[in-house]
Formats: sequence, structure tokens, C-alpha cells
Amino acid sequence: MIQIKDLDFAYPRQQSLFKNLSMQLEPGSITGLLGKNGAGKTSLLKLLAGLLYPQSGEINVLDHNPGKRQVSFLSNVFLVPEEFSFPPISIHEFINANAPFYPRFDVGLMSNTLVEFDLNTDSNLSRLSHGQKKKFLIAFALATRCSLLVLDEPTNGLDIPSKLLFRRILAGSLNNDQLVIISTHQVKDVENLIDKILILDNGKVIFMKTILEISQKVSFISGSSVDTAKAIYSEPVPGGYRMMMPNGHNETEVDIELLFNAITKGKKID
Amino acid sequence: METNNIFSFRRFILLSKQSLIINKKLIGITIAGFSGLVFLFLMLIHIKNYVNWDNDNYMITFLVMFFLGGSIYSSLSYPAFRTKEKSISYLLLPASTAEKYVFEFLSRIVLFILLMPFVFWVIANIEGSVMHYYKPDFINYRFSLSKALSSVVYKRGNSGWMNFLIFQGWLFVFIAAFTGASHFSKSPLVKTLFTLSIIALGYALYTYLLVKGMNVSGYALENKRILFIHNRNEAMAFISIAITIVNLCLLTIAYFRLKEREV
Repeated sequence: MIQIKDLDFAYPRQQSLFKNLSMQLEPGSITGLLGKNGAGKTSLLKLLAGLLYPQSGEINVLDHNPGKRQVSFLSNVFLVPEEFSFPPISIHEFINANAPFYPRFDVGLMSNTLVEFDLNTDSNLSRLSHGQKKKFLIAFALATRCSLLVLDEPTNGLDIPSKLLFRRILAGSLNNDQLVIISTHQVKDVENLIDKILILDNGKVIFMKTILEISQKVSFISGSSVDTAKAIYSEPVPGGYRMMMPNGHNETEVDIELLFNAITKGKKID
Repeated sequence: METNNIFSFRRFILLSKQSLIINKKLIGITIAGFSGLVFLFLMLIHIKNYVNWDNDNYMITFLVMFFLGGSIYSSLSYPAFRTKEKSISYLLLPASTAEKYVFEFLSRIVLFILLMPFVFWVIANIEGSVMHYYKPDFINYRFSLSKALSSVVYKRGNSGWMNFLIFQGWLFVFIAAFTGASHFSKSPLVKTLFTLSIIALGYALYTYLLVKGMNVSGYALENKRILFIHNRNEAMAFISIAITIVNLCLLTIAYFRLKEREV
């Protein structure tokens, strides 16, 4: 679904952000895109959506060059940006105005998600809080049934119950032919949701594995002291240590935050 | 299902419908605001001067408002480009560049040219009637747009090329503002005027240097040396065609600014 080959990208009068970036993503996955501040997560999402043009290299998304912004591409890709703005109209009017552009728009899913998010279709979008607006945009994005959903910091601004709802709704409303890319700093918010992790650092993909692959290779445990002989990586936490260990026999839940810190500090889990 | 990526009339209608749903209040406020402005402006003039007022005076007022209103309105094209957030939604909306471009051109230039004279005509006649009611010696209170236009087009003996030049000149003002709006995100009208001023000054300076510095004027070219301009009418034709080409170039620039816009 997404093929990137030898991508070079830099903002005008700035250092190169991506140099020879290559990666491939297939449908049927919710991929977490992680990286430090300034690693280029949002820029990569914009490149995938055709909002930025690379200096060189190839990007192929759904058999299209995103930069051409062809209708057959745009009607199959939906980006939920971190910052967004809505016109001062009601939710109902917004859906009437925009849904017809998406051929697979699922009115039933839209209605159900709005109910779950406790949003009234008569509410004026300009009078909603940032969190409510975000919930609406996520609901709309899901209802488009686009093959590629790109969510940039989707849980920013959501309250705790809404974050739980977001995870449940997203997990329950996707098809196997869809690919969701979630860029986030709030790794705890996407735990138990993403099934693949992609880490960007210094303009390169330094890590890309499924949760299954990770849990087969390493386990995440807590202890009062660090087993320095075995631990691949450890961090002090209140009451002891969190450790990433080579997997013995028992698979544990992947601690994405610990994994991220380990990988960005140069640890390997191959 | 095969998707038409160039231009679909169905999507164009959807785009128009979307714009109407989103901007219906703004359109209403704009028309009401413009009507109120015309009404107040004419009333202020007529309070001081109505005895010598005639259709030509209406026409001058109309032309001033037409240019000013048209320039400002055209410079508000591509409203989504004023902020990053709106630009993202607009560029990712599943409609082709051609559809978005044609819609913007029609709604910002063609619609204004068609609608503004009608609005002005209605408001001018309402205001004239109101003033006539209070000041019965205000005789020429009715505004006839067709009479005023024919006085410009026919009575002054303009040639076809002259009329075409006037038309292209009008269009140039609107199209320059339209292109500026596609290029500049913030304060497009001011920046467009500044850019045009720089170009005009640069051209004037170049011409001055050519004439004075290189003493080109001293060569005293004979009329026959200029191959294709032999009289006033041909000069009009030349300038009209030149402005038409400039207008087409500006429209092309606006199209590619939209097509290749990054966020």
C-alpha cells in the first residue's frame, strides 16, 4: 500500500530531514509512528498525503504519486491533522457538505460513532471544545472508510474516557483492507491498539516490527534491581526498575515507552 | 470503479454545494454589507448634491465601486490558503485541481461581474426613490445601467478594440488580485499591489534608462519602421492583445500555484 524508496526531503533553507528514507507498509494494520520531537513524523505524514513534495526519491501510496493529489487518491486517504479548523456550521451540515466526496462513506458508522462520542448532530462545530472537535473529526475519518487513515496525535486534547473510547472505536471499525498510521507522543494512549511500531530517528526508519515479533524477541518486566547481565535496557521507575529482557519463554505485553527509549538509545532487539 | 481525475461535473456541483453550505451566512452578510455601503454612500452624496445628479454620475459611482469591490473580493479568493489548517482540509478535499480552480474563478470573478451591477442597480434605485420621496426636486433619481453602459460603449465612439481593451483592463485588475490570493497567504491584496508596483516601477526605470541613458529617443523612428502599428486602432488592438496574454499568464500561474501548493 505504501512504498517509499530513497526519499530525500528538506524544508527550504534547512538541513535535510530525510535522507535515503525507504520503507514499506501493507494494509490490515494499525501502525504507530514514533519519534522524538523534530524527527519528522508530521512531515512524513504530509509527504504521504501529498501535502509536501520530496526533493528526490519515490513515494507510492495506493498506486498513486501523492504529490499529484488525484481525486482517486484523495477519496481514499484521510488525514486527521494535529491542528485543524472547522467552518461555523452544524455537524449535520458538515456531513452533508463533505461526505458525498467519499464514495465509501458509511453513514451508519458515522451515526454510531457520534452517539458513542456523545456528539449531537445539531451542535455547531465552532462552539465545540477542542476535544469534541477532535472526536468529531476522528468519527468522520473512520466513516469515510478510506483505505489509508493518517492520524497525527489523535489523542491530544481527548479526556481519559474519550481516549478509551477512541481505542475501542478505532479497533472495532476497521477493515482488513485499511491501513491506519498513528503518529503520537502519547504512547500509552495507543498501547493495545497498534500492531506495528515504526520509529523514526535522524531522518531514517531505525525500527519497524510488529508487536508479535517484538513480544517473541523481548519481554518487559519490573524488578527491584536490575539484572545487568541479562537486561537489554532498563529504566528506574518508582519502587524499582522496568527492564527489557531477551525473551525466555513467557511473552509479556509490549511496553512501548520502554521499547522506544531503548531503541532511540541504540539498543537492538534482533 | 474508474475515477475521472480531470474534471467531473458531479463533483463540481458537490463543491459548489459544499461552498454554499459553509459560506451561506458569509454570502448573506457580504451582500447585505455591500448593499448597505452602496446605500449609505449614495445617500451621503445625494444629501449634498442631487440637483445636478444624472445617470453619468451614477455610472462613475458604479465604476469606482465595481473596481474597488471587485479587487477586494477577488483578493479574497482561496480563503482556505489564509491558514495552514484550512489549507490542509482544502487541498485534501477529493476534488480535482481543475474543479477547485474553475469554481474559485467563477465564484470570485464571473459571479461578481454578473451580480454586482444588478445589486448596485437595485440599491441605487431604492436609494434614489427614498431620496426623491424626501426631496421631490431630485429628478434624475433613477439609475439605468443599460443607458450608462451604452454611453460608454457607443456614444463616445469607441472602437471594438477600445471596448475590448477596457474589458481586458477590468479583468486584469480582478485577475491580478485573484492570482495574488493564490500566491500570498497573508494580506494578499497589499502584497499583490506591492508586487505590481515593483514590476511597474522596474519597467518604468528600464524604459527611462533606455530612452535617456542610451538616447533611444534620439533615433526618431519613423512610423513605417514600426511594422504592425499604423494607427490608433491598431495600437488599441496591440495593447488589448498584450493585456489578454498577461491575463492568461496570470490565470495559468494561479492554476499552478493551486496545483503545486504545499503545506
